[in-house]
Amino acid sequence: MSNRRSRQSSSTLRISDDQMIDLVSKLRLLLPEIRERRRSDKVSASKVLQETCNYIRKLHREVDNLSDRLSQLLDSVDEDSQEAAVIRSLLM
Amino acid sequence: MQPTSSMNKEFLKKWQMGLQIFRPSIDNTSVSERKRAIKLSADVAMASLRKGTTCWSRALIQKTASEDNFLVRQMLSGIKEETLINKKLPKVMCHRKIVRRSKKILMRRKSRSAMEEVAAKAKKLVKRKTQGLRNAVPGGEFMSNNVLLIQETLDYIVSLQTQVNVMRSIVDAAAAGIER
Repeated sequence: MSNRRSRQSSSTLRISDDQMIDLVSKLRLLLPEIRERRRSDKVSASKVLQETCNYIRKLHREVDNLSDRLSQLLDSVDEDSQEAAVIRSLLM
Repeated sequence: MQPTSSMNKEFLKKWQMGLQIFRPSIDNTSVSERKRAIKLSADVAMASLRKGTTCWSRALIQKTASEDNFLVRQMLSGIKEETLINKKLPKVMCHRKIVRRSKKILMRRKSRSAMEEVAAKAKKLVKRKTQGLRNAVPGGEFMSNNVLLIQETLDYIVSLQTQVNVMRSIVDAAAAGIER
């Protein structure tokens, strides 16, 4: 069997420290929880990655909930009513 | 890097366009069908803001197209199809057991200090979290290195924030309009 371990593909490239620090600082600006903590450089990479995942999933859930709410709002409204007209003007 | 008001406006316009496409059927369908229409339109609208320039937006469009090809074609009629494809990375096939066994042998030969152990564990943890992030971002499997992954993540989050903000404003306004 050929020796595949010797091949270094770009997918195993590790982040250099400088690049990581730069990107992590940008992520911190976006993530609500980390932003609130004291400004220290010692937030670990794994913690930032975890918080980022959590935040993304939270945003996914929000989109789902909002879609739910909107579709139910549309449902609860009488076809010819003024409320229906309001929604139509907002959305369509 | 924050959602801008021009992003908000553009998202809203595209989202409205998507909903218009559903318009004929949206009045006479079930709540769940309507929700699906709302969500798919919102996703395509969000992805289309990037005009095929990011990996996540291409992946999201591909994913939505597999659920509703017509909608995607209508909403993206201006964009060339070639720009929307993510190139598949060549898969490096590794026989897991062999790799694991060789790693064990290597570790036995090295005598590691306590600090080396801690560093190794930390690296493993970061690797695991990075993989988790790849799973959370659309098209993560196409991002060939970790730098790209984080850049895409940053852009994806800003786009998601735009999507959520606009949708929330619309839903709140609609709810207020109904309650009056």
